[in-house]
Amino acid sequence: MTSQQKSIPSSPNIHVKLVRTFPRFNVSQRWEHAVFLLCIAILLITGLPQKYNTTVWSQAIISSPDRLNTIQQIHHITALVLSALVLYHLGKAIYLISRRKLPGDMLPTFRDIRDALNTLLYLIYIKKQKPAFGKYNFEQKVTYWFLFFSISIMIISGYVMWFPETITRVLPGGVIPAAIMAHSTEAIVTAIFIVLWHFYHVHFERLNLSIFSGWLNEEDMHTYHSLEYNQLVHEPHSDQDPGDMKS
Amino acid sequence: MRLVSKCNFFYLITAIFICSLSVFFIIVTNVIASTPKKELQSSLQSQELLDLKDTGPIVGNNVCLGCHGQPGLTMTIQNGDVLDLYVSPDTYATSIHGQDGYACVQCHTNLGNYPHPTFTATDLRNVTLQLTNVCIRCHSGEYNLTMDSAHAAAQASGIREAAVCTDCHGSHDVHQWTDAVTHKLLPAARLSIPTTCSKCHNAIYQKYATSVHGAALSEESNTDVPTCIDCHGVHNIGNPTTAAFRLKSPELCASCHTNPAIMDKYGISTDVLNTYVSDFHGTTVTLFEKQSPDAPTNKPVCYDCHGIHDISRVDNPQTGIEMQKNLLVRCQVCHPDATSNFPSAWMSHYIPSPEHYSLVYYVNLFYKFFIPLVLGAMVALVGLDVGHSIYARTHGGKPRPKPKPVEVQPSELTETPTKPPQIEHNDEIKNDQSEQREQSERSEQSDQLKLNNQGDQTEQSEHDSEEVNHE
Repeated sequence: MTSQQKSIPSSPNIHVKLVRTFPRFNVSQRWEHAVFLLCIAILLITGLPQKYNTTVWSQAIISSPDRLNTIQQIHHITALVLSALVLYHLGKAIYLISRRKLPGDMLPTFRDIRDALNTLLYLIYIKKQKPAFGKYNFEQKVTYWFLFFSISIMIISGYVMWFPETITRVLPGGVIPAAIMAHSTEAIVTAIFIVLWHFYHVHFERLNLSIFSGWLNEEDMHTYHSLEYNQLVHEPHSDQDPGDMKS
Repeated sequence: MRLVSKCNFFYLITAIFICSLSVFFIIVTNVIASTPKKELQSSLQSQELLDLKDTGPIVGNNVCLGCHGQPGLTMTIQNGDVLDLYVSPDTYATSIHGQDGYACVQCHTNLGNYPHPTFTATDLRNVTLQLTNVCIRCHSGEYNLTMDSAHAAAQASGIREAAVCTDCHGSHDVHQWTDAVTHKLLPAARLSIPTTCSKCHNAIYQKYATSVHGAALSEESNTDVPTCIDCHGVHNIGNPTTAAFRLKSPELCASCHTNPAIMDKYGISTDVLNTYVSDFHGTTVTLFEKQSPDAPTNKPVCYDCHGIHDISRVDNPQTGIEMQKNLLVRCQVCHPDATSNFPSAWMSHYIPSPEHYSLVYYVNLFYKFFIPLVLGAMVALVGLDVGHSIYARTHGGKPRPKPKPVEVQPSELTETPTKPPQIEHNDEIKNDQSEQREQSERSEQSDQLKLNNQGDQTEQSEHDSEEVNHE
C-alpha cells in the first residue's frame, strides 16, 4: 500500500473523515531541498552585494575590506556545502541508475511539451481543461532542470573564479572573465527564476508544502497529479522507492 | 467637548511657550557665538596690517647692494661655515620680485638699519630655515599649504633637509612659474619641475627620466605629460605610501587618461578607467576608495602593473606589459602560482568584442537575450495563470474549473471510478459531506475531535461548506 490511512478511534455517533496521504518526497529529498534552499539563500545574500557593489544597500554591507573578506569566506564555505550536495544528488542518481531503480519521473518527455502547449491553450481560454499530469508536471520539471543547469553553470564558473591560477594551467585566460560574467549574470537569472516561477507555483497558485512534509493529500493528488493518482490507486507497484511513511 | 477644548488650549499655550523659548535661546546663543568671532577677526586683521607695515625704514635696494653687490662678502656662523652674503644684482633684477620692484627689506625686515642686528645661526641649513619663514608675509596661502605636506611633517620630525619654500623656488632668483592671468603652470616651469625635485629625489628622477612620461618631457619638451607635481601635488605634497593615496591613485591617472583632449593626440584609449573599474580588481579599489579610504587593499592599482616612476610604453618589447611575459611578472607579485596563460585572464583594458575576448562577449550577448526571454516567458505564464484563476473565480462560479476530488471512503478504495467523477455526482457528495459537517458542528463535539484537517484539505472543505451555506 503506498498510501497511508489516518483514522481516529471512532465512537458510533462521531463522523470520522479518513484522509489518505500519498508519499511524495522521501527524507533524503526533503533534506536535499532544505539544504539547497539554505545554500541558495546564503549564496544570494553574500553574492548580490558583491555584484551590486555601487548601490547604497550593498555598500552598507561591504563597507570595509575585512567585511568583504568575511562575506567572501561565507560565500566560499556555502559553495562547498552546495557542491557536496550536488555531488550527493548526482551520486544518488548514478547509484539508482546502476541498480536500475531510478524512478525517472523527472526526465523530460515529449509528453511535457504537449502538456505545456495544452496548458497554454487552457490559459488563453481555448481549452476548457488543464491536461492531466503525472508525478511531476511540466512546470515542476522546468523548475528542476532549469535549476539543474543554472547550478551547474554557477558551480563551474564559481570554481573557475576561485582558482584562476590552476584553471589557466589548462585553459586560456579568457575563461576567467567569461566565468565572472557568467557567474554574476546566471545568479540573477536563477534568483529571478526562483522568485517568480517557483515561489508563484508553490506559494501563490496553491500552498504546496509537500517538499517539507513529504506527503500530499488525496485531494491535491487527484487535482494536480491525476495520472499518478490513478496509477497508485489502481495498480500500486512495489518496486518504487517506498519513501518516508511518516507524516 | 469642553474638556477637549481645554486640552487643546493647554497644548496651544505650551507650544507657544516652547517656541518662544527656543527662539530666545537661538538668539542668545547666536549673540554669544558671534561676538568673539568678530573681535578675533578684527584683531587678526589689525595684527597682519601692523606686521606688514612693520618693515622698518624703507631702504632702497641700491643701498643694500652697495655692500651686498660686492662678491666676496661673507660671514662666518657658529659652526664655522661660511655664509656668502653676496647677491648678484643682475640675478635679483631678473627674478620676479626684482622685476616687480620689491625692496630687499620687504623680506629682510629687520635689516633696514646699519649696523644690522646680530644674526645667529647654528649652520647654513639653519640660515635657510630661519629666513624662509618670511615667505608667509605675502604668500600665506601657499605657505600654509606646505604646512600640511610630507615635507613639513619631515621637518617637524627633525629632518632638517626636508624642502622648504626656497629649496624649490630659490631665494634671490625666484622665477615666475604660473601665468599671471590664468594662474596655470607655464610650459617652461613644467620642464624644470622634475629637475627641481631631483635635487633631493635623484634616484626617483633617474627612473622618471627614462619613463614614457619623463622621456617625452626631457627629450621632446612635451608638456602634456605629467611632472612630479601632477601626481604628488604642489605645496601640500602628501605621503604617497599611504593606503589612502593608493586607493585614490587610479583617479589620479584617470584625470589625464580619460581626457580625450590629451589622449586622442597619441591614440591612447580613454576607456582605461572604465575597463579597470568594471574588472573586479578595479571594482574593489573603487568601492573602498569611497567606503573606507584608509583601508589597505591588496588589489592592484594602475601603478602596480604599469610601474610607478618607471612607467614604460605598453608595447615596449623589454618592459611593456602588453607583452604577456612582462605582465606575468607583475601578476606573480600577487599570484605566485600564475603561469603563462594567466595574464590573459585580465582583459587588458579591452571592452569585450568579437575580436577581443570573444568568449566574454558571447557570454554577455547570450544573457542579453536569455534574461529577457526567461523573464518574459515566466511573467507571461504566471500572469496568464493569475488572470485565469481570477476569471475562473468570477465567471466560473467555482474556484477551479477542474474535477473536484472525491472523498474516498475506505470501503470504496478498491472500486474508485477510473473516469473522472461527474460534476453532479461530485456536487452531491459535497453537499452530503457539508451537511454532515454542519451536523457534527452542531453536535458541539467538534472541539474535542481532532480530525485530520491539514493544509489544503481544511481550506477546501471550509470553502465548500461556506458555499453551501451561502446557497
